[in-house]
Amino acid sequence: MIGYEDVGGVHIKYLYHCRRQLWLYLRGIRPEHLNTAVQLGEAVHDTSYTRNTPVDLGAAKLDFVDGGHWVHEVKSSGRPSPADEAQGRHYCQRLHRVGIDAQGAVLHYPKTRRTQRFPYTPEAARQADEDIRDALTVARAPASPDRLARSACRGCSYTDYCWTE
Amino acid sequence: MPAAARTYWLTSPCRIRRKDESLIIERDNAANVHVPVTDVRDIVACAETDLNTSVVALLNRHRINVHLLSYYGDYAGSLLTSETSTSGETVLAQARVAQDPHTSLAIARSIVDACAFNVRRVVDRKLLNRPYTVLQESIKNSTSQAHLMGAEGTFRRSAWEVIDTKLPDWLQLGGRSRRPPKNAGNAFISYVNGITYARVLTAVRLTPLHSGIAFLHGTMERQRHSLVLDLSEMFKPLMAERLLLRMAGRNQLKEHHFDRDTNQAMLSDAGRKFVVQAVRDEFAVTVAHRTLGRNVAYDELLYLDALALTRHCLEGAAYKPFRIWW
Ligand code: SF4
Repeated sequence: MIGYEDVGGVHIKYLYHCRRQLWLYLRGIRPEHLNTAVQLGEAVHDTSYTRNTPVDLGAAKLDFVDGGHWVHEVKSSGRPSPADEAQGRHYCQRLHRVGIDAQGAVLHYPKTRRTQRFPYTPEAARQADEDIRDALTVARAPASPDRLARSACRGCSYTDYCWTE
Repeated sequence: MPAAARTYWLTSPCRIRRKDESLIIERDNAANVHVPVTDVRDIVACAETDLNTSVVALLNRHRINVHLLSYYGDYAGSLLTSETSTSGETVLAQARVAQDPHTSLAIARSIVDACAFNVRRVVDRKLLNRPYTVLQESIKNSTSQAHLMGAEGTFRRSAWEVIDTKLPDWLQLGGRSRRPPKNAGNAFISYVNGITYARVLTAVRLTPLHSGIAFLHGTMERQRHSLVLDLSEMFKPLMAERLLLRMAGRNQLKEHHFDRDTNQAMLSDAGRKFVVQAVRDEFAVTVAHRTLGRNVAYDELLYLDALALTRHCLEGAAYKPFRIWW
């Protein structure tokens, strides 16, 4: 199973969205096979902000880091979510660990032309560390976490898996 | 799983070449077809197909499997990409279920039951009522996979007999024969079963399950994807028996669709194209799914069933193999 350094942005995103999703993801249930919505997400990545090269940090993949050390993330959804924020925070944490003094995360929502800034404070750093530990706890659980309420699953790419009877 | 639209069916002899990130399909007497590789989920080669190393490298990179059907309609093999979705923990869970005689027999039982249910449903509910009741009794009393297969064989024989009463003389099966099929009816069934097997293999490869660990058929039996044999059971009647009866009933199958001699038969070139077209259209047909609350294509049903089995292995959720519900 994965260790502290292997926890990446996707894991953190799933941790916030649904713990069961994270648990399943780690066992090979992959959204790209389950739902075409994910492919839409990739298309947005391909067409927006092409001037900047993505930074590869092992487990974490960032869209780009600007000259002022802000991490930029492009989101395909229209609405900001706590998962997006957690993901941005996670990337800052990873950058700090390799010695880059990230200032915070800027989340871009091209669909609604919104931008949100989250400075990387000591409080955020503590939370980022806690998120990674939570993700590891979920990863190591022997049994799968329960499903969310059916209504909360709307739009989740794991619906086919979780709700086929 | 995206609809059957992203499966490419090659029905005439061709060569696949690579040009940058595209596949070029070259045929005699027809214009070349350019296909961007991202448009392809998998390829079913129903006729002689040539391809080379650089094509294989490109297919591999995009996780595209090529399924090859032999001249006689048997499934001949697949070019499978090296990367799979299998996950260690899931395969271990699958192996544990398969090794436990109690749980694996329970799955095998429900597969045989669902298969027979579907056969009865598409062939004749009334005439197969008794054989089905007898089978259910044998299923209950079966203590091994071999027993179950025997009981299924008996039921199947009754079903073949009933099917023959609904077919014109020249299409009758006279019992099931393979490698090579003895007559036109058997050639048809073999061919459609071969395609169904290939579709199920694609579906299984998208799940983290191991295609070689099975519950009804022997694990790794003759180096084949035994799990695919298991999961094909329920879908063969939906495709093969159902299409045979329908196409015969509508007088769509003609003698020129087959090449026959005294002791064997296979689809002719025209017949192969015609049958593949029919099967392909059938895989794209959609039905309203009850628990998912949306329409799903037949092709997707294979994948959903493989997912349900994954869930059974990983989480112990009940596994009810596919039954025709409409
Ligand atoms: S479908 Fe529901 S329970 Fe399943 S992963 Fe998605 S949100 Fe969680």
